[in-house]
Amino acid sequence: MKKKILIMSILILILFTSWVKNSSKKIEDKIFDVKENIRLLKTEIEYVLLEYNYLSSPKNLTQYQNQYFEKDLIQIDITKIRELIENNNKLLEKKLIKINK
Amino acid sequence: MNKYENKKIILENFENEFSYKKNKSNLNIEFNRIAFIFFIFFSISLIYSIQLIHLGSRQENNKKEPFTHPEKNYRADIIDVNGTYLVKTVSTTDVGINPLEIIDKKHLLVMLRYIFPNKNFDMVEKNIDKKKFFYLQKNIKPSKYNKVMLLGDKSIKINKRLTRIYPQENLFSHIIGQIDDDNQGISGIEKFFDYELKKVKEPLKLTVDTNIQFLIREELLKFKTIFRSKGAAAILMNVNNGEIISMVSLPDFNLNKRQSITDVNYINKVTKGLYELGSVFKTFTIASGFNAGLIEPDTKFLDSKKIIYCDKNRPIREYDNDIPADLTVKEILIRSGNIGSVRIAKKIGVKKHKSFLKKIGILNQIEFDIEEVGRPRPVNWKEGCKLETISFGHGIATTILQLAKGYSIITNGGYDIKPTLIKKKISKERDRIRILNEDVSKKINPILRKIVSTKNGTAKLANVQGYDVGGKTGTAEQPIDKKYSRIKINTFASIFPTENPKYVLVVMLESTKNNKEYIYEYRDGSGFKLKGSPRNTAGWTSVEAAGKILDKIGPILATKYIEN
Repeated sequence: MKKKILIMSILILILFTSWVKNSSKKIEDKIFDVKENIRLLKTEIEYVLLEYNYLSSPKNLTQYQNQYFEKDLIQIDITKIRELIENNNKLLEKKLIKINK
Repeated sequence: MNKYENKKIILENFENEFSYKKNKSNLNIEFNRIAFIFFIFFSISLIYSIQLIHLGSRQENNKKEPFTHPEKNYRADIIDVNGTYLVKTVSTTDVGINPLEIIDKKHLLVMLRYIFPNKNFDMVEKNIDKKKFFYLQKNIKPSKYNKVMLLGDKSIKINKRLTRIYPQENLFSHIIGQIDDDNQGISGIEKFFDYELKKVKEPLKLTVDTNIQFLIREELLKFKTIFRSKGAAAILMNVNNGEIISMVSLPDFNLNKRQSITDVNYINKVTKGLYELGSVFKTFTIASGFNAGLIEPDTKFLDSKKIIYCDKNRPIREYDNDIPADLTVKEILIRSGNIGSVRIAKKIGVKKHKSFLKKIGILNQIEFDIEEVGRPRPVNWKEGCKLETISFGHGIATTILQLAKGYSIITNGGYDIKPTLIKKKISKERDRIRILNEDVSKKINPILRKIVSTKNGTAKLANVQGYDVGGKTGTAEQPIDKKYSRIKINTFASIFPTENPKYVLVVMLESTKNNKEYIYEYRDGSGFKLKGSPRNTAGWTSVEAAGKILDKIGPILATKYIEN
């Protein structure tokens, strides 16, 4: 009886190991694929970001501003900007920068 | 009768202890052993068969080649503080033709004409006739690359390579520097961090801000033209941690063009150029006096002469003849008094003043993140008049970067800083070392503010509302062949907000000329406008440029870099 149990256990372990190895290989493959996809997407996003950085560079934005808006865009007086702060359900106004006389 | 006849033979079973018995159990063992071994082998073969069948039945995935950076020519990207690309390594493809391998020239040209309709094919044909390899198109687009490959012509050669592109063109030329054809950094960050850029996969993050750099450069370019300046430079730095937000030196160059720069005028005027900076040094003289505890802002210096001689042939005069003879320390700095500065320096003495200048990093070469750093000429303190001339910024040459560092230390509470271009992951606010007395900043900052905010100050044009600007001007003739020339360096070193300084901005214009058409708008609320520059001094050139720069960058600094 003991022998049978031993043999059965060995067999089960062999089969189980084989199954685990196979499953882990499958998972490894999946991980590899996902990693590769992430890498490719990262490369893609880097190129998109590069394009965005170029198109939205201050030089280009200034050029677009002059080309399309001329004098429509004006500089806001920083001293008139207020920061809204919520305190005990009340909105408080705070000057963004202190004005020294 | 036979003798045997009378004998009776009795047959009886012989009882022996030995008896043969069929041992069934032994036979079973033999059979089971064979069966067991057979079963094991069978099981193993079954498992492998199952495995083989399973593997065979699996769908073959389209395995992608793992992305690896080709070792050759790989360099990490460089980004600014906001993550904007300053330098990017991209993979490019060049298409070339080897005329010796062309089978059908006409067919090839027709097909290529279809793919590259805008190309000059007369030139291509001439190149083919030369029978030498040539590049048909560099940096080809992926769509065109596919079409070229579909031609399947073996004379078409593809060369894939990594190249470095600079989307901001000129903007950071002096900071980033250049690389050579062998992927070796030859200047700037590219040289100093050559090893790291080749080994590290993550982008190198700098402290600079592209938007602020652009705005400062634009204003500098404008004022370089207005005052017909030979060159210009500006640095904006955080006074508390030494992080450089912007560093501009003009003229600059487009990094994408990969030019060989040999003209001396293209040196980095912030870090490499050594200049006698003039009156901006008076702030150091007074701060040195405060640090030594020898003077206070209201200490009086009475009966100062308009001209003094430190030796027989070397007179020291006041820049402004209207400067009163009796002045307090505060007034000496506000009115930029030369004689007053000399008297203060004499009170301090060579030993203490030398030690002070050394502490704030003026006398020695600065440790920085690029190699293009000027080495200040050693000062011979025993030479006649040295202490006197250094007190108002002559006889000592230093870089704009060191000036910015010095101003940061005397205004930030006396803490040492190390100017840097590299964004550190952890800021070491707690590790700051105080090298000057705490009260130096408390005494000097209000005086610097008054130079900008009061009528007698020399930097009124930089009094931008809301930013609490303080600073000191410096107009200095430059020595050429041991004689002072007419070439002037106009500098304005400013800090803001003076109540609790966060930034130092130094603007320098080199060899400026008056502009008769330029209109100055006074910032005292009077609305007064003045046409034409009355003097070729820092107060009318660099200060005006700094004021306009602050108008532009102030809102960004106030909103984006706001501290909660």
